[in-house]
Amino acid sequence: MPGRIRALRRISQLAFLGLYLTLFAFAGRAVLLGLPPDLFLRADPLLALSAVVSLRRVVTPLLWYALPLIVLSLLLGRAFCGWVCPMGTTLDLLERLFKMRGRRPGQAPPWRRVKYYLLLALLVTMLLPVANRSQSEPSLSGSVGLSAVYAADPIALLTRTLTLSGVPPVQWTITFARDVNFIWAYAPVAENRPWMERLFWRIGAALDRFARPTAPPHFRLGALTLLIFAALVGLSSLARRFWCRNLCPLGALLGLLSKASPLRLRVSDKCTNCMRCVNECKMGAILEDPKKYRGTECIWCYACAAVCPEGAVSVTTSRASSGRDDRVDPARRRVLEAMGIGVAAALLPKVDWSAKRTQGGERVLTISSERLIRPPGAQPEDAFVTACVRCGECMKVCPSNGLQPAFGEGGIEALGTPILVPRMGPCNEVCEACWQVCPTHAIQPFRAEEKKYLFLGTANVDRSKCIAWAYGRQCVVCDEACPYDAIYQDVLDGLPRPVVDDRVCVGCGQCEYVCPVEPRAAIRVSASGDKRHLSREEQRALREAAPPRPDSGQGEAETSIDAGEQTPYPESYPYPQQNGE
Amino acid sequence: MSNDELTRREFLKRAAALGAAGYALTQTRLLSLLDGVAVAEAAPARRPILAVASGKTIARRTQAAVDALGGMKKFVKRGATVLIKPNMAWARKPEQAANTNPEVVAELVRLCRAAGAKEIKVVDHPVDGPADRVIRLSGIGPAAEKAGARVFAATSPVMFQSITIKRGKVLKRAKALRDLLRADVVINAPIAKVHGSTRVTLGCKNLMGTVLDRGAWHRSRSLDQCIADYASQIKPDLIVLDATRILLSNGPKGPGNTKTPNLVIAGTDPVAVDAYGAKLLGLSAGEIGHLKRAAAMGLGHLDLDRVKIKRV
Repeated sequence: MPGRIRALRRISQLAFLGLYLTLFAFAGRAVLLGLPPDLFLRADPLLALSAVVSLRRVVTPLLWYALPLIVLSLLLGRAFCGWVCPMGTTLDLLERLFKMRGRRPGQAPPWRRVKYYLLLALLVTMLLPVANRSQSEPSLSGSVGLSAVYAADPIALLTRTLTLSGVPPVQWTITFARDVNFIWAYAPVAENRPWMERLFWRIGAALDRFARPTAPPHFRLGALTLLIFAALVGLSSLARRFWCRNLCPLGALLGLLSKASPLRLRVSDKCTNCMRCVNECKMGAILEDPKKYRGTECIWCYACAAVCPEGAVSVTTSRASSGRDDRVDPARRRVLEAMGIGVAAALLPKVDWSAKRTQGGERVLTISSERLIRPPGAQPEDAFVTACVRCGECMKVCPSNGLQPAFGEGGIEALGTPILVPRMGPCNEVCEACWQVCPTHAIQPFRAEEKKYLFLGTANVDRSKCIAWAYGRQCVVCDEACPYDAIYQDVLDGLPRPVVDDRVCVGCGQCEYVCPVEPRAAIRVSASGDKRHLSREEQRALREAAPPRPDSGQGEAETSIDAGEQTPYPESYPYPQQNGE
Repeated sequence: MSNDELTRREFLKRAAALGAAGYALTQTRLLSLLDGVAVAEAAPARRPILAVASGKTIARRTQAAVDALGGMKKFVKRGATVLIKPNMAWARKPEQAANTNPEVVAELVRLCRAAGAKEIKVVDHPVDGPADRVIRLSGIGPAAEKAGARVFAATSPVMFQSITIKRGKVLKRAKALRDLLRADVVINAPIAKVHGSTRVTLGCKNLMGTVLDRGAWHRSRSLDQCIADYASQIKPDLIVLDATRILLSNGPKGPGNTKTPNLVIAGTDPVAVDAYGAKLLGLSAGEIGHLKRAAAMGLGHLDLDRVKIKRV
């Protein structure tokens, strides 16, 4: 029976990992079974806790998604860690693959409390008032905390690694396979064999549907993210599930919740102290006396029951007959130390490696770099940095590959948050992909029609490099490509030269992307036109205040852009209307 | 009067003989052996025909225009492979007049099919992305596929092949679409639009969508000359200009002011078709740099008075 349950647990692990990977793979392409693509991130109570505490705001839908896991943990303890968590399953699989068995139980580092200290440090950072809330939300309290939960939350960590390090190699492979098939379709051997040409061409075209529209994508920080993940996996050679037993703050949170669980392990008198269960326990939860175990560490993997030759391990709800020990035993000085680290982390923005400046004397908009171009719908900077868990889902779904993790642009506290790098890919005027996968609404919902007044920045023509301005030759590719008609032409001596109308330009970066000047475009988006500190209504009013240009076809309703967007992409790219939040 | 001096009579004789010999040489084009370019750049001798159709439906107009040139069978032989190059570059809907009208493309596909074409491809290299969305939104994808064509975007660099532009003055090499180079019949199916840098985008400019690196043309000494150079190498068998709804401002992508002449123009002279298109856009062909250069290279007639216009 216990063996069966262990097998069931493995099936559950693989099923949930499969679901997680499938949702990830289809994010930005299709909605499966009505499930949000970021389901696992939303269901993560640590991320919900972080959003609520650090933003001082009840993010209701998030809490609903996190509720099942909270209830599950109150009833069954850390069953999530053993049966569901994709990070745990990944570690189990990689430990098996690389034959990492860890040291013998007595010699494994006794660091199980570190995760509680980490959780505490994170909470302290969240609680401290770091930044003023922007003026756009005066109804809310005056400050937001800073959340560093992204660094240690397992789901965010795994998703980020999958995006930044996993997606590009997969895409390179797809692109390569596509090109190989196309080459065969054009090869001499296929020339007089229509069936062969058609076959290779069909395969190539099918692969092309899964390839990114632009060049094979890559992400900055991809290698670094992979290294961090590899290091975490490598720690398993010290002790199995090293991450889960010693470091994971989500595990710590669920461990605390598990104290309420009525379920207990019972070891009967048949126990012969053979210590097989102790050796088998991947969490190091069983103490030297095999009848005693730590309830906060047990993940209900059933290995102990499965390996017990006497069948002495069973489950009970009786307090008396179990050796469950729920003490966390925090060390007082360690607790103080953790709080100190939390305070220090909250002060990190003061390190200010990007030389941030304030605008208008108030911290309305923190400008650190002109390249800090946020995705549309992004919350004001301070709230955005706090809310973003750096899961990378938005970067994964961005069809142009333009969303990239920030490195230095937003300061140390914004490491890994999404920024638009227009030279890699612009923000498409009809795309709504990023907000739909944002688990914490750091990117707030918007409709494609609103994008013409969601100001990310402003494009600037570098007249010393522009083909038309600097060299007097024909080229207004930027004007051709601008979806918002924000570029007009200054015709001098019969030659048109591009000029940006900064009241209309939203900084989507299409112009910078198509500019033929190499390597750096002669028209570039700067974050200086970022208007996130204004409410959407105010931004809209700004846009509408700009007089329509006589040639932009706005006199004819049938050709105005609004008319064009009424039926944007039969199935409203990329998702049908969903999550009515 | 010394002996070595020419007499007046002798001088006149010699002058006449030299003149006659010179005239004879030019008539027999012996001189042309020395100067091939001079002959090649002379305008085509025959008066080209331009069919301007204004039928009731877009499909009928398209058919009428092609029929006026002798019907699709004249261009497409049984078993031929056909490449149709519409303007399918922008994520815009048909009523925004940024892409060729899907009905024009679909009718061309049907006509080719009826003429016995073995395979019909409808291809562009879109500027906007993602390409599949451009294909769908332009309406050309669904319409032409239904008519029996293979519609795709040239998304992979392996779809292009290096070619030499033999007569290129600025553009010496280009990477051109393999399908275009291999097709038995090439039909250029542009839409009439104004254009930010080249004033108009019609047939010659539409061919720019069959090269991989468009940026190189913009960086070059002259975009106009690049367009003309490319047109000297890539010569479509048939040009069908869609003037159902044309874009009068903010081209090539719009949104801009549109007009609906409800015409389809067909021809085999790339410059003449474009000259007519320019007229529809309210410009004279002589104002358009790349058309002037194409005419100077002898690629076609700029002057519409020298073109036989058949209205059907």
